[in-house]
This record gives sequence, structure tokens and C-alpha cells, in this order.
Amino acid sequence: MNGTHHGPADPGGRPDGSRQAYLASVGTALPGDPVDNATLAKTLGVNEEWIEHFIGTRTRHFARDLGTGEVRWSLADLCAQAAQRALSAPGCDPDDVEFVVLGTATPDTLMPATVNHVADQLGLDQVPTFQLQSGCAGAVQALSVARSMIASGEYRTGLVIGGDVCSKHLDLQRDLSGAAPGDLVNFVLFGDGAGAAVLTAEPAGQRVAVREVLNRFTGLGREPGQVIEWFGLADRHEDRQALTEDYKAIEESVPVMAVEILWELLGELDWQPEELDYLLPPQLSGRMTSLITERLDVPSATEISCVADTGNNGNALPFLQIERLLEGMTAGQRALAVAVESSKWIKAGFALEKI
Amino acid sequence: MGPVAVVGIDCRFPGAPDTAGFWEMLMRSGDGVGRVPPQRWAAADFHSADGAEGRTNTTEGGFIADPDVFDNEFFTVSPREAAAMDPQQRLLLHSAWRAVEDSGVAPHRLKGSGTGVFVGIMSNEWAQLHLTDYPRVTAQVGSGNGYCMTANRISYHLDLKGPSLAVDTACSSSLVATHLAVNALLAGECGQAIVGGVNLALTPALSIFYTQAGLSAPDGRCKPFSSQADGIGRGEGVGTVVLRRLEDALADGQRVYAVIRGTAVNQDGRSNGITAPNRWSQQEVVAAAYRRAGVEPSDVAFTEGHGTGTALGDMMEVKALGHHHAGRTGRPMALGSVKGNLGHTEGAAGVAGLIKVALALHHRTVPASRFAAKESAVLRLREQGLRLLKAPLRLPAGTTVAGLSSFGMGGTNAHAVLESAPPAASRAPAAAGKDTGGAGAGVFTLTAPTPEALRRNLRVQADAVTARRVPLGALCWTSNHVKQGHRHRFAVAACDTRELSGLLRSAADDEEVLKRHAGTAAGQRLAFLFTGQGSQYAGMTAGLYRDSPLYRRFLDEAEAALLPYTHTPVREAMFGTGEEIHRTEWTQPALFAAGYALGATLQALGARPELVLGHSVGEFAAACLSGALPLEGAARLVAARGRLMQRLPAGGGMLAVRASRESLEERVADEPWVSIAVVNGPEAVVLSGDVPALEQIEKELGAENVRTRRLTVSHAFHSPLMQPMVEEFAEVAREVGGAAPRVPFYSTVLGRRLRDGEALDAGYWTSHIAAPVAYADAAAALLADGPTHLVEAGPQPTLTSLARRLGPRAPESGGFPAVAAPVKGADSGGRELAAVLAALYKDGLEPDWDAVYEPGERHQQRLAPYEFSAEHRYWTAAPVRAPASGPGPDGEPGVAPGQAALPVPGTRAEESSAQGVLPPEQAPAADGGDPVAGAVLRAVGQVGGYPLAELGPHQLLYEDLGFDSVMVMELKHRIEEELTDGDELDMQELLPRLSSVGDLIGFLREHPATATATAAGTSTGPATGPGPGIEERTA
Repeated sequence: MNGTHHGPADPGGRPDGSRQAYLASVGTALPGDPVDNATLAKTLGVNEEWIEHFIGTRTRHFARDLGTGEVRWSLADLCAQAAQRALSAPGCDPDDVEFVVLGTATPDTLMPATVNHVADQLGLDQVPTFQLQSGCAGAVQALSVARSMIASGEYRTGLVIGGDVCSKHLDLQRDLSGAAPGDLVNFVLFGDGAGAAVLTAEPAGQRVAVREVLNRFTGLGREPGQVIEWFGLADRHEDRQALTEDYKAIEESVPVMAVEILWELLGELDWQPEELDYLLPPQLSGRMTSLITERLDVPSATEISCVADTGNNGNALPFLQIERLLEGMTAGQRALAVAVESSKWIKAGFALEKI
Repeated sequence: MGPVAVVGIDCRFPGAPDTAGFWEMLMRSGDGVGRVPPQRWAAADFHSADGAEGRTNTTEGGFIADPDVFDNEFFTVSPREAAAMDPQQRLLLHSAWRAVEDSGVAPHRLKGSGTGVFVGIMSNEWAQLHLTDYPRVTAQVGSGNGYCMTANRISYHLDLKGPSLAVDTACSSSLVATHLAVNALLAGECGQAIVGGVNLALTPALSIFYTQAGLSAPDGRCKPFSSQADGIGRGEGVGTVVLRRLEDALADGQRVYAVIRGTAVNQDGRSNGITAPNRWSQQEVVAAAYRRAGVEPSDVAFTEGHGTGTALGDMMEVKALGHHHAGRTGRPMALGSVKGNLGHTEGAAGVAGLIKVALALHHRTVPASRFAAKESAVLRLREQGLRLLKAPLRLPAGTTVAGLSSFGMGGTNAHAVLESAPPAASRAPAAAGKDTGGAGAGVFTLTAPTPEALRRNLRVQADAVTARRVPLGALCWTSNHVKQGHRHRFAVAACDTRELSGLLRSAADDEEVLKRHAGTAAGQRLAFLFTGQGSQYAGMTAGLYRDSPLYRRFLDEAEAALLPYTHTPVREAMFGTGEEIHRTEWTQPALFAAGYALGATLQALGARPELVLGHSVGEFAAACLSGALPLEGAARLVAARGRLMQRLPAGGGMLAVRASRESLEERVADEPWVSIAVVNGPEAVVLSGDVPALEQIEKELGAENVRTRRLTVSHAFHSPLMQPMVEEFAEVAREVGGAAPRVPFYSTVLGRRLRDGEALDAGYWTSHIAAPVAYADAAAALLADGPTHLVEAGPQPTLTSLARRLGPRAPESGGFPAVAAPVKGADSGGRELAAVLAALYKDGLEPDWDAVYEPGERHQQRLAPYEFSAEHRYWTAAPVRAPASGPGPDGEPGVAPGQAALPVPGTRAEESSAQGVLPPEQAPAADGGDPVAGAVLRAVGQVGGYPLAELGPHQLLYEDLGFDSVMVMELKHRIEEELTDGDELDMQELLPRLSSVGDLIGFLREHPATATATAAGTSTGPATGPGPGIEERTA
């Protein structure tokens, strides 16, 4: 613990004089009870030990009922539930929300954008809403947009949301006993969930300053590492795989990118790695995350991960990590989060400091 | 002046049935104006496009839907009285009730309070129709009319003792009423004020007046500050707000829509004609309001104008505002008027504007002003520092100041300055105090006067919960505090709003579900049963510990008390997965800890036992919670007991036998190492002792076809094999001591209730070890003392099911009590505990609601207000235009004045009986042929205006049927006419017998005058009760 070495409690703004944004509260929503590997293995006809060993994810949650296939929660339901939890935290008031930004890769419908259904469920009206179409970097992109809006001085309180319902691609009819491991991964890696945070212009609630946000496209000329298709009336019968991943490319590139993100953020803030109290590494799967954390090599920082319990639920992950982070974070402590979107190779991350 | 908070709102306006509908309409710039409904008047009869004499130039206006609906039963107003009441009184009653609920307060809670009522009203058309129909002026018609009665009715029905008055300053009436209410609050005259405004257009009179005065818009629409403005359109509505001093509202944790910072009222004096607006006075009233509020004109972001849409009126208003704002720097002040949506709601106009401004500040958006797109160039708004709201204006974060004008036709002007509510951060936390709380799930409650009302309101709440996501804890906490006070109670436990909305809907739609969750309040006697050995399992109460902070607190308390003796936290055994929990050194402390924590949790939630019983080791928690042992002493005793028993050599066993105690006593008489350990029922006995001896008995019984079962126990509890530990335990027991319990205690050592002064001391606990557990006798004694509910404090419901097998109780003691178990098994958590509380609440418990929720959940959440019954309608005949020659020769009703208040034929009997004349063919034979009962029922029906089918002997005349002193006199006369041949009944004798209809019938049967008069008739049925065939009305 190093609560005092970071200088004044809060400079009230960034060194360049622009306004600061603060994270006041976080709320998350995971649908239903956790589904363990035994249950998943039984349902899909895959090997339980294989999941344990190669994926390293113990449990996940699904918006779709595994038994009946019935959809019990929409993405909007989960996002609104998470947002409502964030908004009911001390120091937050739904009446204060001036904008909503949602990052997701799996909207309920292409139109209306899910963010508007979320606003509707929350009783918000007459506010700007944004929805960012993105994979694992979407939550960070949403945070980036929200932070810029607050830094502009025009807005004082905003709601940042991330969520995904991956079980849309969990085809329960399919017999996977003979499927190739590359194909199987898609079925055992993912989960559903949502998270939300209230961002404010003044320190409130949790009083965590968002010191830096990184969001950068780096995929010029590179083949996508991950593709999720969508189908319309004209092409819905085409025999394309809805979800494809280049696991080799991901395993190769993500750790390298993660290390670069870490150092870029540290460099921007002029922070030393040993000044970090917490590290929030990318949450691909239980196994990949521990490999990457090893590569990041910040032994002094406590690792905050959740994917082994929640499954990879995309844009919910950073919020689930922040929620765990806030349980232990004390004034003066610093945290740094790293996320990589391997679809078209987006670097993302953010730095937090509790004041 | 001090700030006054708007804490509650309710309204109905044209096109908007409630507050949410009103806001929705404003935000979409909706139009509430339409054709004059035939129910009001025959529009064509009075129409003349060029405004001929006695005619109006419009057939349109802003009319509210269903002005005739009134839930008279809710307010215990008889149909006859309801039919005579000005519908404006009825609308205000509904609205006031809903506004008080919206303020986060159960209206019942205001009974006897000094709450003030201030009503603004200018329309008196009901009186014009009825008080000129001289032959029909009854007592009810008298009290059914008059401005004062609109306010006084609210005070009467809600039992409010503060100032109660109606104000008529024409179109500024309800803003002037607000001004008076604010002043009364600030002067300390009342702590809370209900301010209402109401307006119904029952006759075309004012439309004709506006037309003749050149003020009437042909399309019936006000077009405020618009180039299209061409006069006034009339509008109806009712609006009510609840006001409090801001500091009081914040201290009580009430949600604040907006704050009134300053109000002012003045007069035009001798101006340019009595009805002409006066710019100078308007300017001055605005200035006075700014002064009182302590604001500069430039602080005001927007103003809700009077804005009638007349050329002169709009011009004067703009100039008056311009005087203050023309010099503004920056953006001009925003201006709009709700009259564009509703028409001019006259007496309700001020409150319509007030509600619009309060909602705008609350939602931080000012709705667009309808017809603003075509702004009037003549008004030169920009030069006056004003801009018309052509689109909704999003207000910036932080404090916004707004103005509100309302001007009366006779020259009484009012202006108010409002501002947005203080930010959440500065609001005092509601219900501060107890910091620990939380059952682990919410309990949503609802009450209503009848099952049908319950169903109706369940539906409304289900829709509201489905429509919007709100925090469950706050929602439930608010329902507990606001939706209380009626006879029929409903309660369900839920863990999230989705589950809750499902439960509410299924209860509304499914009679069986409703029955499970609803009840009528009654006296309650709770018995707590503390479970003993055998009920333990690994993970016992782990779910509850996870979910409920309250249970967590008490289990931690028990664990801490045990720790000096157990050395390892008891939870490790309780929540572990291994066999530890079945070792008696852990079983006993674990059951004690769970029993204590469950009992203490229930008590903290407000469920306190009047009878307690513990099965064997369960008696330690029972003794502790009934004050016979301190927690530390009980913990020490039970830990020692478990430890010493564990130390005894293995080899003991227990055998459950399906046979009577008597038959087994004989069998074990010769067995020195076997004894009767437990008697759970007449055929449920457990033997305990030496294993070989038990095996022998088992074999013998088997041969006799007696069913037996070996229990998996480590030791032979309650047997002679316990003897070696008794002395060591007795030593500990002597040190701990023990007192007499403060709650009736049913001892399973003695098999009976402890007598006064019998203490649970060392002697008791020592004999407890080897004595048989006389559960059957103890439980029978407990059941005989009439508990209404058995609540099992243990890890699973064991004792309650044993008790059930003791057989049904005699019907005269009320049948078998209801059974509740906060922990049903390994999956139980907060929901099950909350469900027990819900069940107890529906049966009459008053829980300590704050303890059910965590401190952060104890704050007000807006709930859908009470939904009144739309089943009963009371109206009058619509005015029609008389033939040119005047009233017809056959006495046909002519034009108002002099319009008869004829009841309109409707679907229900009371509609056509509004005048108290019940057609004979509608009278069912409810009297069972008894002339006395028949006559009484008829008389009650006539005086109250009730159809005979709705009357029964159990109804209370005052409470159920809304009788008052005037009606009682009339009832007496009718009875004398019908029953006593005109002989006068003695008032002194009659009055005490007027509680229920049945009482009155009984009284008259015994009365000599009746006997004489009905001697010719056949007397049936007993003299004291109603005749057979009289149906009890089950509401």
C-alpha cells in the first residue's frame, strides 16, 4: 500500500488545465445463476476437463436459459439493471444524468439502438445518447467519450455502460461432440453481462479520478482477429459462420499490445510501474489472462480479474473489474486497466486514482 | 421569505388522466382540446359561428374524461350524497388523496394533523343547476355545493385540522390559494398544506360570456403569444400539490419536485375597466415576487405565463415582463404557457401552471409552448428580453429559477418564483437511526378497502414496476410507508423488480395467488418454535447469512459469544461442507447460534413472540430470547453441553418408534440403559441408550410389525448414558444461573408451560440432559393457548410439521395456527425470510419496516398513486337549449338557470337512484319476507341511495354507509312512516342502536310501536338477528 506518495489529493484538473472526470459509482448485472463447466459440458456435449485446462474459465452467466433456450434478459435489461444499480449508489441521483454512452458488440436490434431502450427503462428523457459498436474495447471507448464530454465543461454527470449478450450465438441445438477445438472455444469462452458507471465533473461517491483513457485503432492493413457477422433478409441463408476467431493471431498479438498499452499509459501519466497499486489486465479467458498478466510483469500491483468467474462477457468486463477494484481501493491508490480488441486490433486502457 | 417545497403532485387535465400523462402530453406538445362532449351540453344548440346573442362561437374546449366517476365507497359517501355533490368536490377528493400519497405519506397518517387545505375555484355551475331547482333542494344538495365545501370536504374526509378554505379570484384562484398556503406554512400556521385547483364546465354560460365579450377563440384553443392567437378556449381540470417548508421536507426525507422561493398577490385597483388587464399591476406583482424570492430578473431562466391568447392580455403580459427583462444580457428569458395544450382551466389555471413548472424543474426540461412556432410579431418578444419556447428547453445542471404568472379577470394578479430542488447530496438521509438492517429481500405491500380495489391497484403497480426500472429496496420501503392503512392487506417478498412485477400481476389476475398473499388485519399471537438436534445440515442458513445483513449481525453476535468456549468460529461448522456439523460439540452451538440469530432477526423486524418453545437443545435459544439467559451465559452453557456430550464414549444410539409412550414405557422399564428420550407425538417416540439393548428392542418391535427407524446420532441423548457428564455440566450451569423467562415458555422438560416464578436455572438445565423431551405435551399446551402463527426458528421446518401431526385443534380455538418458516432448507435465503414477514404482515403484524432494509434503501421512491374505482358515476342532465318560446307546457326542463338535476340513466342501479327513489322492481327479496327487515333496508336504501342488493345487516351505518346526522333524521322519519304508523321513535333509545343495519332491525323488532303496526304481518327469524335470506355483504 502506498497511500501518500502521489502528491496532493487532487489537483482539481489535469496538468494541461482541462477539466477532470470522476467515477462516482459502478453497478453490474449478471443474468441468472452462474453456469459451471460441468453443466456447460453436459449441455453442449464437450469435455469438462478441456474447458478447465485450456480455457481456465470456471463459471459464466447466460441471458438465455440453457435448458429451454428461452431468452430471459435482453441486453437492454441487463444494461438498465447495471445502470440502475450504479445510479442508486450513495452520491448519485438518476435526475442528474445528462448523457448516456453505451458500448456493445451485440445490440438487441440494429435499430433502435439499445442505449435508447436502456434510457427508456431508466426513465431518462431529453438527453443525448450514444452507442458505440465495439468488442472488448467498447466500454473503454464509452468511457473516453464520456470523459471528453465532461471535460468539455458542457456536461456534469453522465452514464457509461458496457454490456454484451454473447449467448445469442450459443446454439443449443448443435452437437459439439465432434467439433474442432477452434470452434469449441466460441461456446465455452463467452458469457453475458453488463456494467455501468456514473461519471461526474466533481468528485462524488467513490471519488475516483479518471486520469487517462487510451483508445486507438492500430489495425491498418491487418486481417481481423475476430469477426461477428450479422444477417439480413437477403443473406440470412448464406452458409457463413456467425462468429470466427483467429486464435493464433490473438495469442500472438494481444500480449504484445497489452504490454505497449501499459507502458504508454504509464508514460503519459509519468507514473512508475511500482506506483501502481492495482492492475486490471485484459480479460480474454482465465488462462489467457494469467499468461498476459505474467507478461505485463507489474508484481507490486494487485491483479484485478474476473473472467474466470464471469466468462468473457465483452464490454461488461471493465466494469466487473472496477467493481472488484473499488472493494479494496483506498484514497491515494492508483489502478491501471488494459484492454485489447482483437477484431481490428484496437488498443484500449485507462488509469484511475482514488482521491 | 423561506423556501417551500412541492413534495406531492396529482392532476387530471384534458388529454391527461394523471401526472405522468400530463407530462407526457406537454413533452409531445399534445392537444387536449376537442368537441364539447354531449354529457356537458348540446354544443350545436348553443353555437353560432358569428357569436349571436346567447350563443357561443365555438363547439370545442378542453374537457376531462370521466368527470362523473367517483369512488364514493372509498370515502364512505352514500350514493345519494355523492349524486348531490358538485363533481368538483369529488375530483378534488380523489386528487388530494393521490397527491398526499405522492408526497410519500400514507393519507391515514395525516388524521388529526394540522394540515391546511387551500382550494382555488371559480366555477360554480353545479350549484347554478341544482340550487335553482327549489323543490329538489335537499340537505345533501346543500352540502354538495358551495366553494367552501371543496376544501372542507378534503379536510373532513382526511380528518385534517388546519385552515381549510376556498379562494375565488377568478382565473388566478389557485395561484392565490398557493400564495395563501405558502404564507400559512411560513407563518407556522400549518406544517403541511394541500393546495388544489379545480374547474369543470357544466354549462355553456362562460363560453357565451367569452364570445359576447369578444374573447372566445372560434376553435376553442388558447394560442398563447402566437400570431394565430384569437381568444380564449375553456379548459377543465383538477390539480393538487402538497407543500411543506423545505427544511421539514428534507428532514423527513421527502422527495422535492421544486421549491417555491417567493409569491406575491396584488390588484389592478381602479383600472381601465374591471375586466381589463393592467400592465402596471402585473409588472408590480412580478417585482414583488422577485423581491420576496430574493432574485434578480436575470436569474429567471423561464416563465410560465398566464398566456390566455387574447390580443390585449398577451400584449399586457409581455410588456409587464419586458419591464424586468428587456435589459437582460445574454439569452432572452424563455416564455410559454400550458394554456396552449389545455385551454384556459380558469380556477385550475394557476395550479396547472404550478405543476408544469414544478415538473419542468424536476425533469430539467421545459416543454415547448404549443402554437409558439408562429410567434406573434406584434408582441416584439425579443425587444422585451423574452423568447417563446418553440422547442423543449433542456435546463443546465445546477439551480434553475423560474417564474409563474396567473391573473384574475377581476384584477387580482399573482406571481410565483420557483427554483429547482436542492441537489441530492445535500438532502438529509431518510430514516436515519438504526444503521443495521436488511432482511435480504424486499417486501412490497399494498392495502385497499376491498379485494376488488386491491386487485385494481395491484394491476396499476404491476404496470408501473414493469414500465420503469427503479431500486427495489426503496420501492418496497416506500410501499410499506405509503400504501398502508386499509383493511385488506397484500404483501409479497421479491429480490428484483422483474420478480415483483410478475408477482403483482399474477396476484391481480389469479384469485388463488391473491388469497395466498392477502388477508384482513386481525389480532396476532406469534409462537416461536426453536428447533433441536437432527435439523442441522452442512450449509445451514448460509444463504440467509449471505443475503441478510440483519441475520449476519445476530449470527456474528452469537458466534462471538460462543468463541471463548468453542475456540473455532461456529460458522466454520455451519457453513462447511464436511461432517463437522453432525458432531454434537458443533451441532449444539450451531443450532443455538442459528436459533438465536433467527429469533433475534425476527424480533428486530418487529415480529415478537408471545409464546416460545424449544425442542431439547432448542430451549437455549428460546431461553435467551425470552430473557431467561443472557447471550453469553446461554453460549457458555450450550458449548459446555455439546463439548461434554461429545467426550462421552461412543456406543449410544437412538431409535424412533411408531408407538405410544405408554406402550414403550412398559417395554423399557426393565432396561437400565435404555429410556424414552423424546415424545414428539401420540405415536412418535424416540428411545435412547445402549446400542445392543436398542437392537434387541428393535427386533422385538419388528416382530410385532411396529415401525422403527435408527437415528444417525453420535450419542444416546436424553438417556442414562448421559449420566457421566451431568456433574461437570451442573457446575457450569450453577455459575451461569438463569431467571424466569419474560415470555410464556412451554418447556419440553416439563411438558407444560412454566408457571410464574419457575426459573430456567442450573437445576432446570441439569435435569434437561437426561429428562425425556416432552415435545408433544409442551406443544399441545402451547397450541391450547391459542397462537395464531407458529414460526420455526431453526434450519428447517421440523417442529411445525410435528405440531401439525398433533391433530387439529378444536374449532372454537380458531383451528390450527398458520405456519411460517424463515429457513426451509439449504437453498433458503433472504427471500424466504422476507416471505415470512410478508405473511405475518398480511395477517396483521406491524413490522419495523426500517429494519427490513439497509440504510441506503430507506428513501422515498415515487409510486403510482391509488387507483380509484370507476364503477360509480354521478352526473346530471346536460343543458339543452329551450325552444324559443321558453319552457314547454308539459314542464320539460328549460335552459339553465332552473335546470333540473336529473339523474342520467346508467348501467348501475344507483345512477338512476340518485334522487333516492328506487324503482320497486329493483328491490330483491333481501328481507326474507320479514316486514321489519324489509322496511329498514328500504329506508336505508332510500336515504343513502343504495340499491337494496348492496345492503346487508352487518354494514355499519356510519362507517360503511356514510350516514351522518342529517341522514339519520331522515332515516328515522322514513321508518316512522313505514313501520310505526307514524309513532315517533325515541331518539335517546334509537341512537345507541344505530351501529349496524342489523342492530337497527333488532331494535325495531323489539319496539312496541313496530309490533303493533306489523301485527298483521308474519314475523320470522330470531328477534336479535337479521332474517334468513338477508345476505351478508362480503366486500
